[in-house]
Amino acid sequence: MKQARTQLIFVIAVLAVWEYISRSGQVSALLFPSLEKIGESLVKGFTKDDLISYTLYSMGLIARGLGIGILLSFVFSGLSVVSKHFSYIFNFVVSVMDLIPGIALLPLAILWFGIGQTTVIVIVVHGVLWPMSRNILDGFKSIPSIYVESGKNIGLNGLELVTGIYLPASFNSVLSGLRVGWARAWRGLISIEMVFGTTGSGAGIGWYIFMKRTNLDTAGVFASLLVIIFIGLIVEYGIFHIIEIKTVRKWGIIKNGN
Amino acid sequence: MATENILEIKNLNKSYNDSLGTENVISDMNLTVKEGDFLSILGPSGCGKTTLIRCICGFEDYEGDIFVEGEKVTKPGIDRMMVFQSFDQLYPWKTVRGNIEFPLKKQGIKDKAELDRIVKKQLELIGLSGYEDHYPHQLSGGMKQRVAIARGLALKPKIILMDEPFAALDAMTRNKLQRELHKIAEKEHLTVIFITHNIQEAIVLGTRVMLMSNHGEVKIDIENPIPKPVTPDSPGYGELWRKFEDALEN
Repeated sequence: MKQARTQLIFVIAVLAVWEYISRSGQVSALLFPSLEKIGESLVKGFTKDDLISYTLYSMGLIARGLGIGILLSFVFSGLSVVSKHFSYIFNFVVSVMDLIPGIALLPLAILWFGIGQTTVIVIVVHGVLWPMSRNILDGFKSIPSIYVESGKNIGLNGLELVTGIYLPASFNSVLSGLRVGWARAWRGLISIEMVFGTTGSGAGIGWYIFMKRTNLDTAGVFASLLVIIFIGLIVEYGIFHIIEIKTVRKWGIIKNGN
Repeated sequence: MATENILEIKNLNKSYNDSLGTENVISDMNLTVKEGDFLSILGPSGCGKTTLIRCICGFEDYEGDIFVEGEKVTKPGIDRMMVFQSFDQLYPWKTVRGNIEFPLKKQGIKDKAELDRIVKKQLELIGLSGYEDHYPHQLSGGMKQRVAIARGLALKPKIILMDEPFAALDAMTRNKLQRELHKIAEKEHLTVIFITHNIQEAIVLGTRVMLMSNHGEVKIDIENPIPKPVTPDSPGYGELWRKFEDALEN
């Protein structure tokens, strides 16, 4: 509770400073729209500009890209436990691929997969897969050897060892991998949408921001950024935080802090 | 009789290679253990006693032969359960019940009632009834070690290997667990190999006490002449303690 109160006070303070700057008249209202304008734009976005369907469109793409990315991360990281040679190769591939921004792959992806949802999902998967695998692999490496030996002692091998010991024992890293993966998916998606514009079947929130910017509707830009922040908060506190409480906290793997 | 030897070790050699070269930890060791033996192994740090039971457990490659009931040891298995020194050997993501049930489930015991019965029996045996739903981090060090022992026993191994399981406990808890382990071992007719630094512990628990010096050389290997339960005022305790103490000093 104390934590939430401190965070709330911080947010209110930031908003107050914002409003002060906006009202002082020293800065163009175009650069610092007032909170009222942003609020209006937010409401208008949902009532008139169909912001909700842009958001849902993006969420749909993210869900698919993230789902595939997470699944592949688990499969490849698991295989790295089972096979030494796979592990050598996968570690190398992760190091290489993690350096390539999704946006840099976009021209290639468009050539290969065309202008459509497949391309977007491929880029999102690229954004998720490598950093998440890196987290999981690092987590696997730092598992106390006693868990692994005890697992082998009770007859676990290969896949059973991965699901029975490696994953739960490194769950803290897996969880931070999920958080990083999710964040990278969002970022990747929005940048692509801004560049990409609409696909045949619809447009996402990145495109919405881009349109607002083109129309010099700064309040609208901030309003859509707020939507992104809200979704982030919902996912953090509605999903990740709950998972954390029900797992690593309950298990005493992490004790206190936030 | 050869058949009653549950464990036979012949010409065991084990060395570790590292950047400094090859270090011979155990050379040419021979050892047999009978069913129902409680073998305490004493020895200075680095004498190879932990390496010995790690080889028996199947965690290490070795040269020579290790047979358990005539079968050569090539990999870890539930017929040889290890209890480690570390309090962290329980799975923190599972409750006490989960820790005991998990290996059983992997052995194909799926029946809920049967699992319940085994968990209940094991917890009674170690005096932790009512702690089924506790997570390891909610238990004291002594309790964790008891659960680890119960988890191993539940699998009905042929041999239980214990690598200084009580070394990190305070003296009072340690004495208590020694008494309990002795009772359980007698009641369940366990075969145990128990590594320790502590002469008192070795004498109190062992039906047979062995002293290893460097490279796995067996300096003393005797049947424990003192009748159980062993206390410091048992006749002969002082002399036996002195004998091991002197041998350890050299």
